[in-house]
Amino acid sequence: MFDLKAYLPILLMFIVAAGFAVSQVLISQLIGPKRRTPTKLMPYECGKDPVGSARERFSVKFYLVAMIFVLFDIELIFLVPWAVVFKRLAGPEFGLGTLMYVEMMLFIALLFVGFVYIWKKGILDWSQAARQEAEAEAEMLAGQSGERLRRAA
Amino acid sequence: MNIYFGLQTATQQFADVNLWLLMPELIVASAGVLVMLVDAFTKRLDQRWLTGGISLIGLVAAAVSCVWLWTSWTGPTEAFFGMIVLDRLRLSFTLVFLVVSALSVLLSMIWVEWERLPAGEFHALLLFATAGMMLMASGGDLVMIFLGLELLSISTYVMAGFRRTDVRSNEASMKYFILGSFSSAFLLYGTALVYGATAMANGTPGTTNIREIAQRLDTALYPPLLFAGAAMLLIGFGFKVATAPFHVWTPDVYEGAPTPVTAFMAAGPKAAGFASFMRVFLFGFPFVVAAGTAQRLHSAWIAVLVVLAVITMTVGNTAAILQSNVKRMLAYSSIAHAGYVLVGLVAAGAASDLGQRNEAIAAVVFYLLVYSIMTLGAFAVVTILARSGDRRTEIEDYNGIGFDSPWLAFAFSVSLLSLLGVPLTAGFMGKVMVFSAALDQGYVGLVVVAVLNTVVSAYYYLRLIVVMFFRERSGAWNAPLVPASMAIALALTVVGIFYLGIFPGRVIEVFQASPSVISRLLGT
Repeated sequence: MFDLKAYLPILLMFIVAAGFAVSQVLISQLIGPKRRTPTKLMPYECGKDPVGSARERFSVKFYLVAMIFVLFDIELIFLVPWAVVFKRLAGPEFGLGTLMYVEMMLFIALLFVGFVYIWKKGILDWSQAARQEAEAEAEMLAGQSGERLRRAA
Repeated sequence: MNIYFGLQTATQQFADVNLWLLMPELIVASAGVLVMLVDAFTKRLDQRWLTGGISLIGLVAAAVSCVWLWTSWTGPTEAFFGMIVLDRLRLSFTLVFLVVSALSVLLSMIWVEWERLPAGEFHALLLFATAGMMLMASGGDLVMIFLGLELLSISTYVMAGFRRTDVRSNEASMKYFILGSFSSAFLLYGTALVYGATAMANGTPGTTNIREIAQRLDTALYPPLLFAGAAMLLIGFGFKVATAPFHVWTPDVYEGAPTPVTAFMAAGPKAAGFASFMRVFLFGFPFVVAAGTAQRLHSAWIAVLVVLAVITMTVGNTAAILQSNVKRMLAYSSIAHAGYVLVGLVAAGAASDLGQRNEAIAAVVFYLLVYSIMTLGAFAVVTILARSGDRRTEIEDYNGIGFDSPWLAFAFSVSLLSLLGVPLTAGFMGKVMVFSAALDQGYVGLVVVAVLNTVVSAYYYLRLIVVMFFRERSGAWNAPLVPASMAIALALTVVGIFYLGIFPGRVIEVFQASPSVISRLLGT
């Protein structure tokens, strides 16, 4: 027979994880403020109607946000192992504290440059004004390519 | 096993990190980041001189640091525990990449204005691609080479689709992306197989370090895996440098991509692919005398490359004859030139003598430098004549322009004659060096095929010159104004073609020279 005692911590972890998720949903359901709008009551709250043709065009901003998410997700993935071994490597055994610190700060600084870049490029700006600006630019580009097609014809 | 296995040695070797050895790459990458920030913080209209200027300054600084490494570096020749190596192959290729990149910046400065494209983004991508190419040449480890390749490829995918309202540009970008990822997968699979094959009987895991691979070939546990891995690597690099039969993406991508990007792709990434190709195959699977796995592997890849070279030259030159579009024609011409370079690679691979091998390597690097310069010159003229939107790229569009804009036609003719390999031009010297290196190794048949192919190529190169000077112009046409930066780029290419064609000795000497670094490399 297998000795399942060793797997008890894993079971406990599952219970805690599931309990945490359920409890969060429950608590926000019970004590959170409720302002129901038609958009919010739709199954997926991404500003898209879930019923209808799937061949709908949606804003490229969704992709941009997804990409930015991946960027910072990766940062976190790199930070975790670094944090795990930092104490040991900075200790007397290896004495690499300064190097480890500087290297990670360099990495974060580079990511921060990327963050500044997307901010200045207006990726995080979903306001009406930004939208109008983007539409004007799209129109200008479309006009150009239309002109190009006419010239080619 | 202790999970911290390896750290002990890592601390001991900590002095081997040697950031100085990464100087050229660091400068180019920092310039790229700086250009990105300038792009974000300045207005779109006045940024092109700024970003172009920063790019050029960064490239020149990188070249200076490269020369400094070459002449006065006396430290160790490996950095980051063998990930980065310093040798002649790397430094000479790095200089080629910097020349390509600087010429591309000059070409694109006005072009982005014509096309109303964001200059900052373009120059940043160009610099990142250059950093990737440099890492491909300097990587002493398959993983490092793959990283450099990805950095280069991802930037180039975006650049190919840079004119995003143009369907052809989108198609080029998509095709390049799909086939590029496909070839990267081959490369990665090959790396994994070689890693598995070089595991040792005593339980030591495999290696991706090229020097260690070379040492472990004969004791490889699974020779078939090694052969399969080497074949995968060969296919991956074959895709990247566009050798037949892995060339099918080239014409479509080169035709659809914006012309300055095509110029860059035809010159830079091809040279970078050859840099890694040579690094992996010449140093990872080198010539050995003793019979064994290493010896069989060496003769196998040499035999494959001989066949590839013949197919590539023949397919490239034959298909180029049939083209009616100048960009497609130059794309097939670039395939043919990849075949000529392969002849040099075969010579370098087959050389049993270290001195002869170094001469052959220098010949290949010289050929790629020459090829880059003349291709960039040809595409520069195509860019100017095509005008915004790449509208005039058919051969008929070149009818009779020779006397209306003589300087452009002259520069174009010089580039084409050099691509053909007419004496006094750089292309001739490049071909002479590569073919004589192959003759030294006894590949007479291969050289005969290459020379016959050169004769065939005369048809399509000369046809363009004939069209420009001896055909009547059918429609109305006014000579385009040549902007200053493009004029500089064109003048540099023409001067470069004649200089390398008439006085090739200095450059070859530099590529072959044994500076302190090289002599120490051989000594230790």
